[in-house]
Order: sequence, then C-alpha cells, then structure tokens
Amino acid sequence: MIREYKFDDKAAFLHQLEELVRSGVHPRRLTVTTPFHVHEVEHILHLRPSWLKLFTLIGAAAGLTAGFAFTVGTALDWPLRTGGKPIVALPTYIIVAFELTILFGGVISFLGFLFLSRFPDIPAIVSGTECGPEFIIREDTGEAV
Amino acid sequence: MSLGTYFDQLEHDVLAAMRKPSKLYWAALAVSAAAFALGLGCWGWQIYEGLGMAGIRSPVGWGVYITDFVFWVGIAHSGTLISAVLFLFRAKFRCSFNRSAEAMTVIAVMTAGLFPLIHLGRCWFFYWLMPYPNQRHLWVNFRSPLIWDVFAVSTYFTISAVFFFVGLIPDLAIARRRFTGWRHWVFRILSLGWQGTAEQWKHYAWLYMFLAAFATPLVISVHSVVSWDFAMSVIPGWHTTIFAPYFVAGAIFSGTAMVITLVVPMRRILGLDTYITVDHFEAIAKILLFTSLIVSYSYIVEFVLAWYSGNPFEIAHFSFRAVGDYRYLYWLMLFCNGLLPLTLFVKRLRRNLKYLFVLSLFVNVGMWLERFVIIVTSLARDFDPYNWGNYAPRFGEIGITIGSFGMFFMLFLIFTKMLPVLAIAEVKEHSS
Repeated sequence: MIREYKFDDKAAFLHQLEELVRSGVHPRRLTVTTPFHVHEVEHILHLRPSWLKLFTLIGAAAGLTAGFAFTVGTALDWPLRTGGKPIVALPTYIIVAFELTILFGGVISFLGFLFLSRFPDIPAIVSGTECGPEFIIREDTGEAV
Repeated sequence: MSLGTYFDQLEHDVLAAMRKPSKLYWAALAVSAAAFALGLGCWGWQIYEGLGMAGIRSPVGWGVYITDFVFWVGIAHSGTLISAVLFLFRAKFRCSFNRSAEAMTVIAVMTAGLFPLIHLGRCWFFYWLMPYPNQRHLWVNFRSPLIWDVFAVSTYFTISAVFFFVGLIPDLAIARRRFTGWRHWVFRILSLGWQGTAEQWKHYAWLYMFLAAFATPLVISVHSVVSWDFAMSVIPGWHTTIFAPYFVAGAIFSGTAMVITLVVPMRRILGLDTYITVDHFEAIAKILLFTSLIVSYSYIVEFVLAWYSGNPFEIAHFSFRAVGDYRYLYWLMLFCNGLLPLTLFVKRLRRNLKYLFVLSLFVNVGMWLERFVIIVTSLARDFDPYNWGNYAPRFGEIGITIGSFGMFFMLFLIFTKMLPVLAIAEVKEHSS
C-alpha cells in the first residue's frame, strides 16, 4: 500500500520526511518528488553522491586526449611546414584540445545524466504521469491493499 | 499568500505569456520577419552576383560581415555570463534573466554562424572549414586562428544549446501539466518524462553545475579565440596582447546591453513585472557599468601601448583612428561605450527602465561600431601607403546586417511564445 503525504510548505515537508526516516522507515521505501531541488532531501534520505562526475571526468579526459591526438596525428601524418612554424606546434593545438575537452565533457555529462536518470522515461511519457507543484512523499508501507 | 498559492500564481503568470499573442506581438514579429526577408534577399542577390556586389576589396577584405560575426558572437556571451557565471557565484537575481539570456545566446550564435558563410561568397564550400582530410589527405591548418574559431564557435553553440535545454526540463514538465492539445504532447516528449524525484534532482543539480563550470571558461575562450583572429596577425592596431581580455569584456558588455534591450519590452508586453523587478534591472545595470569601465580602460591602454611602444606604424594607426577618415565613428563609439554608461553611477538612472532601455540601444550601436572601427581602420591603413584605401559598406551588406537583426529578433519573439521565458523551478526555489 502506498501512503501519500502532500505539502505546500517546504519546512513541513522536510519535517515529515525526517520524522518518517527517524521512525525507522527505510529511505528506499520512500519516493519523494519536489517542485525544485531541495538539498536537504539528499541528506535525510542518505542518497549517495551522483556518479555523474565520473561521466564528466571521462568525457573531459577523452576530449583532451582526442584534441591533442587529432592535431598531432594529422600533422605527423603528412608533415607540411607552413609559416615557419614547427610541424607539431603544441601551443596552437592547446586551443583545439581545450575546446574538445569542454565539448566532450559537456556532451558526455549530458548523456550520463540521461542514463543515470533513465531518460527519456518512455512509460511516463506514454502514460502522461504528471508532477504537481506540491512536495510529495510516497511511502510504500509494504502492506497488501 | 501561501507558498502553494504563490507557486500556482507563478506558473499561471509565466505560462500565460505563451498564450494568444497580442497585436503588438504580431506587429513586432512582422517587422522582424520583413527585415529577415530583406537579409535573405540580399544574400541571395550576393550569391547570384558574386562577392563583388559587396564593398569589401583590397586592402579592406574584412568589412561589415566580419563586424557582424564578432558582434553577434559577443552578444551571445552575456547569456552564458548570466546563466553560468552568476549561477556559480549564486547570484539570485539571475533567475529573472537567465532563460531569456540563454535563448539569446543560442539565437545569437546561430546568427553569428551565418556570417563566415556569407563572407565566403561561395557559401556552398563552407565545409572546407571543417576538419576533414581532402582528396590529397591534407588536413586543415590547425595552427590557424580561423580553424580555432570553427572549434570554439561550434563547441560554444553545442554547450549553450545543451545548457539551455537542461535548464528547461523541469519547466517543460510544468508546461506539460498546464497545457492541453498538441502543445501538451510536445511538452510531454520534450520533458523526457520528468517527475522531479529526489534522484532526478540529484543528477540534475550535478549536471547543471558541471555545465556551468564548463561554460564559464568556454565563454572566455571563445571570444579570446575570436580576438586572436586579429591579434595573431602583424597588422598595426590588431597585433596586441590586450585583445583577448578586451574582447571578452566587450562581449559581456554588449551582451548585457542586449539582455536589457530584450527584457525591458518583454517584461512589459508579457506582464512579468512581479517576477522581473526593478532591483533585478539595477543589478544588471551594475554589470553593464562595470564592463563599460573595463572596455573604456582597454581603449586607453590600446593608445598608451601604441605610444609607449615607439613603433611608428602603431602610433600612426592610432592617430588615424582618432583623427582619420573614420573619426566620427570612433568618437561615437567612445561616447556610446565609455561616456554614456558612466551615467549609471547615478542610482536613479540605474532604476529607470526607460533610460536603461535607451542606453542599451546606444551601447548596442557603440559595440557594433567598436568592431567596425577595429576591423576596418586597421586594414585601411597598414604598413605600406601604396596599400591604403577606405571602405564603405554597400546596400547588400547593409541589407544582410539588417536581416541578421531581423532573424535574431524574430527567433527571440518565437521563443517567448513557445517556451517558458522564466526559469519557474528556480524562481520557486529562491522564493521558498
């Protein structure tokens, strides 16, 4: 059975959530939806930090590596001296590597967000599940209806 | 008023702006679309006739098109500043402007991106700019600032678009609940099934922070790279180390002015006076004043560097800027960008929206002139007097420039009716 608590007020909502957790309800049995990001919820429910930073790190590192590999690789592939500059002119390649670091880091972070949040949530899109402006706590009591 | 009632009212007011457009809106859209059509017509004419119909020729090979490119990239910058930098600094007033500013960024980069193609003349060869091996397996020259531009501007567009979309997701879910019919379905799909659960918000908050952290150095790098299109050459007036910070400050200055130009009428037409307050405008006017001071300081430094260098070409060039054939544009630029914004030291003027709106128009003009003066005067008077020559834009170039403004305003007007113009979830967070 699902027991639902609805609040208009953030303080009352947080108080109720704390009460539930303190009374021994396991955070996994609680589903919380809020109209905006409420930092305190993560502490009360003991949510683990997001793995998103791993995606960001991998993306940024891949972009940096790709930027240098791409520019240096193509320069060495067909060495052509122009403007009296060295074949591998690293300072000028920093720009390309920097931009690709940000591009890959940003895009892979976004893809990571979609993956971790299970977006696009097709069942929710099809069923048309809505989220209201209230603070809602749904407690799975584990009892049969 | 209880928080629930306030949230309801907020959602209603912001989404009401997306309802049936007024006659004023249609008139503004028609004028913008007509200007855009003029620009398209002129571009078509240029493609038919060739680049010779434009006024650019030796020695001034970069004219109004490159001026427009730098101007629009600059306009884009304030969007990122207001969204990302002010987010990292936890400036609360950003939530009144950030959605409009982000939309402005995406639209301005799209507008800017057209100008290298227009300037190419044979725009169907634009793909030569892309990093790919040609039939001889030769790659583009990665040492060229023009190729850095390709990377910088395309990265900027991608990250800005992602940042804009991510910020919209919770608000699209609100719009999904509030609208019916085809719009409900569009918002249902675009909101990706957002429910606002604790897990979703957790990942969302991290993503938003990372994107803001990426966008901040990006905004600095993009206009630095644009400035290096000039500074990497040896032309007097261009070859200076001050260009990168000077261009970045100028970009934020012009972008902030454009935010004011857009948001003052938008607030009035869409009835958002309660949510975009005079206090918010005062905060943004302070940014305008601050960046104006940096830009004015850069103008002074440029002259001092030329004088102190003892380089006769640099000295001759800057004398030409101040008293040469383009002097009226130069002094008008100084008036608009350096002198007029000083009035913002007066609190009463910072809080006067009509004054701010008029001032922002002057700054827009001044910043366009700044780019024109930098680009054209340097090319018109380089080292060799036999290679001197003046430039004046022709009808086609003016038409395309007007068209770019038409495109920008048209897309912005469409945005105000298609998507929530305020970050509703964020306003809720701050008001709670």
